[in-house]
Amino acid sequence: MLHRRVYQFLIVYSLGLALLLGIKYLLELSNYVIPGPMEIWMTCREVTRRYFADVMDTMTVAIIGQVLSICMAGFIGIVGRQTTWLGSFVKVAAYNVQAYPIVALAPIIFILLGDGFISRLLIAAMICYFPLLLSVLGIMSEPVRDIEHFYRNTGRLRWQLEVKIRAFENIGKLTTVVAGSATLAMAGTIVAEFIAANAGIGYSIRIALYQSDLGKILVALFLIGISLSIYQGLLEWIGAMVRKAWESQ
Amino acid sequence: MRNHRVRGIGWAVAVCLTLLAAFPPAAATGAEKLTYRLKWLFNTSVVGDLYADVRKKFAAAGLDVTVKPGGPERDAIKELELGQAQFGVASADQVIRAMAKGSPVVVIAQLFQINPLQWIYRQADPPITRLEDLRGRTIGITYGGNDETIMRTLLAKANLTEQDVRLFSVRYDYTPFFQKKVDIWPVYRNTQGIFIGQKMMDGGEPVQFFIPSDYGIQFVANSVVTSRQMAEERPETVRQFLTALLKGWEEALDPAKSSLVVEMLQEFDKDTPRKQLAEQLEITRRLVKPQSGVAIGVIDRDAWIQTEKIMYDQKQIVKPVHVETALMPGFAF
Repeated sequence: MLHRRVYQFLIVYSLGLALLLGIKYLLELSNYVIPGPMEIWMTCREVTRRYFADVMDTMTVAIIGQVLSICMAGFIGIVGRQTTWLGSFVKVAAYNVQAYPIVALAPIIFILLGDGFISRLLIAAMICYFPLLLSVLGIMSEPVRDIEHFYRNTGRLRWQLEVKIRAFENIGKLTTVVAGSATLAMAGTIVAEFIAANAGIGYSIRIALYQSDLGKILVALFLIGISLSIYQGLLEWIGAMVRKAWESQ
Repeated sequence: MRNHRVRGIGWAVAVCLTLLAAFPPAAATGAEKLTYRLKWLFNTSVVGDLYADVRKKFAAAGLDVTVKPGGPERDAIKELELGQAQFGVASADQVIRAMAKGSPVVVIAQLFQINPLQWIYRQADPPITRLEDLRGRTIGITYGGNDETIMRTLLAKANLTEQDVRLFSVRYDYTPFFQKKVDIWPVYRNTQGIFIGQKMMDGGEPVQFFIPSDYGIQFVANSVVTSRQMAEERPETVRQFLTALLKGWEEALDPAKSSLVVEMLQEFDKDTPRKQLAEQLEITRRLVKPQSGVAIGVIDRDAWIQTEKIMYDQKQIVKPVHVETALMPGFAF
């Protein structure tokens, strides 16, 4: 699972790079527009260590943001699954929060909370929370009739059991959504860093853009991609372990 | 059968329309089509470029020029190489970085004789009359930007290290300056400098500016660039373009035409009050044409050489690029 994620990323990255280099040589572009292999290699040697630390910094924020989003989406999903007034109110409120584009909200967040850790975390959580919420709401609102029917008729269906049944029956979907949301959390953190933060790989990409240095951006993209692939592979692996443990019970 | 034919004709029409949209026919006037990519959005900093376009200076020279706004994600030099633009505006650091990576870019005119990038600070704060006065202050810089290079050069010149000052990472939001978290803040003197200054003044805090060129730092700003191929193979087009452009700049900065020019600017920059546009125009005039006898567009060779030296000293480039070889003042004068 893990190695498949990594080699799939390597194939995609290599294809992208080959395409860029193909364009470079076909149109006889200078290293300023698209850096050559030697230039990329030199940049790689120069910045990898620093950029790797930046990616880890970003990833830490992204993971915490993702955990927050999962908790938030889980909570709202469980409350919002009910067909009561409160359930529909929670759903509408959750959708409305997401109606504003994050790039419009980000400057306000940075003014209020500064350009440090909390702002990055909040933006990461906001970006990855909505798709999670949609999936959790979808799963939690859908009864597993043949199983729930038995417990309901015997009067033993409490809300905790209902949630457990629905989560267990959809564990595959939940794992996929959680793994997928890692990409969004990472993207959210990078966007936040790009807009206003003073740390992380998004901030380094911004500086590289100021200097029109595509080589640095290519190195950053590689490190982001490989780290994210490993993290997603790990999430999928954990999902599979949880599933196995539940099934064995 | 009939259905197939109708469908075939439909497809042919669709393909023709797509091709027409992708490759529109040349204008009936027969004027040469050119694209001019600016460095920043339409504002007072590009007043001459806008004036040349609006007052049809290019058309009068037999050219069909599309003036496109720039922005942080735009790079005129890259567009020259990719054939998406024939002329553009770039700052000296962009030109030098591009040359260091083998880009065949040349400079045909220098628009700003004084770099508009300066630092704003409160008049109530101790004045900066010598570089040593920077010691102990919190200085705003954009990491990776021109202002970082300029400030580091100034600090080095004053024998100050990063331990002697506090460097603060700056973005588009000025709140840290308004909140006094930062003592001196980088601004473009002719645009941001005006409205931040006005805002501070309204709050009872008059401001002043720290000007790097007063301390001998000549870091060249916006200049007109084209590709070496264009300059060598189509010199007449380059000459026509530049003559029309500089005519636009001369007229736009003519004090007698101020109210007309402000009116034009208001069309492009609806959010800035007329009074501020007039002030921006006045400051732009001083930066583009500091002395009345000097023609607009003159390339300050020494300033370019100094800019390269600064970048080399700051390790922005790994080896000298001899920027003077890319300066082509002959097209304008």
